[in-house]
Amino acid sequence: MREYNIKIENVVASTQIGENIDLNKIAKEVKDAEYKPKQFPGLVLRTKEPKAAALVFRSGKVVCTGSKSVEDARRAVKQVVKIIKSLGIKVFDEPDVKVQNIVASADLGVDLNLNAIAIGLGLENIEYEPEQFPGLVYRLDNPRVVVLIFGSGKMVVTGGKEPEDAKRAVERISEELTALGLM
Amino acid sequence: MVEMERVKEKEVEKEVERKEIEREETIELCPECGSPRLIRDFRRGEFICQDCGLVIEDTYIDSGPEWRAFDSEQKEKRSRVGAPITYTIHDKGLSTIIDWSNKDYYGKSISIRNRAQLFRLRKWQRRIRISNATERNLAFALSELDRMASALGLPKAVRENAAVIYRKAVEDNLIRGRSIEGVVAAALYAACRQAGVPRTLDEIATYSRVDRKEIGRTYRFIARELGLKLMPTSPADYVPRFCASLNLSGDVQKKAIEIIKKAEEKELTSGRGPTGVAAAAIYIASILSGERRTQREVAEVAGVTEVTIRNRYKELAEKLGIEIIL
Repeated sequence: MREYNIKIENVVASTQIGENIDLNKIAKEVKDAEYKPKQFPGLVLRTKEPKAAALVFRSGKVVCTGSKSVEDARRAVKQVVKIIKSLGIKVFDEPDVKVQNIVASADLGVDLNLNAIAIGLGLENIEYEPEQFPGLVYRLDNPRVVVLIFGSGKMVVTGGKEPEDAKRAVERISEELTALGLM
Repeated sequence: MVEMERVKEKEVEKEVERKEIEREETIELCPECGSPRLIRDFRRGEFICQDCGLVIEDTYIDSGPEWRAFDSEQKEKRSRVGAPITYTIHDKGLSTIIDWSNKDYYGKSISIRNRAQLFRLRKWQRRIRISNATERNLAFALSELDRMASALGLPKAVRENAAVIYRKAVEDNLIRGRSIEGVVAAALYAACRQAGVPRTLDEIATYSRVDRKEIGRTYRFIARELGLKLMPTSPADYVPRFCASLNLSGDVQKKAIEIIKKAEEKELTSGRGPTGVAAAAIYIASILSGERRTQREVAEVAGVTEVTIRNRYKELAEKLGIEIIL
């Protein structure tokens, strides 16, 4: 088995931590909080360890972005809950965190001929417009992810829900390309 | 007996003719320069290569429909009647209009009393041509398409194709939530690529009210939804047009295409914008042939930046081992 240098770059998770959260109060009390209701209705809270950003909305929904693993995302959410709780705002203790998107990068380690790949994988399955974007877009059904393949052999896998998705996708593509003799 | 022979002879002649037509149909590349851009000039009866000007066949037989008929039998064989239908008009050019000249069938001018009536009839005739919202959408879109195609100087075949793509998009309800202008521009872009005469998105965008990004997005969407299997454009497709705008000779053009072919073989074009590669190849070819054009001139024509040309040109020169003395 070859190493593809798969690295999770970003995990986006969402959860519900309460209802009718007073964002103004958080903005006033927490000095790192960013809240500009004119520009964006959510309040941005950044955590240092793990490094992540949480968008808190008035409805009580929280979106956590920027963390490098699912575990980090959960920890970040916990921290945010703790901060908000300490301000005396009513929140749920054990919010159910759901992963929405995982972005990973990978490297096949060889230069690719995207033109040949475009034809090999079938023009109806892929999207390759070098005039608009240098990468080739390949949408997989199983796992349901979108992969951007670049001429350098590097790839970006987005849209996965499990950390395993990225690995499966990369392995499948590698298999397909090997079968086509393009790797 | 003589009669019989003559008949036979004629049959043989016909056979030869048919074969000739078949053979002609199969010619897709110019035997001289290998270009696929062959064109039929119906007025002169010639089959010409657009790139090197070779006349592949002259005084060829127009196998189109027979317009003349001398007896009832021939009349029945006649394959079409009336103007050919076209997709570039919303009703395919099948409806009629009332003429503007106030003359009746015999050429007499119409009395003033009836003129008002005729004016009203004309007005309603025009309004009735567009019966519902879909038709109105088509009418507007196709006139926009015609305007853009004229501004871009695109041939009829491409317009027709673009109109077909647009109609398909309407049928499949792909216009919903997109601007008509955007879809028209995208259809035109797709049609150009199908015909092997790609225009850049920038070129299309200059004649459209929609910006480049939106056209690209819409194009990708309709290409995916309609399953238009379009190959990524090859830089070689842009060379003839760019060379013409730069007043470069056929030699330069040939050389540029050669360079691109080599680059494609060595996989140097993968993930690179086709216009940039074309521009760099033309730049190199122009220097090699002693018809030097500056990077800026080439960049302007190709719609890329000078930096792009420099980068591509360095890559090409290095990897293909081309020595350039400035």
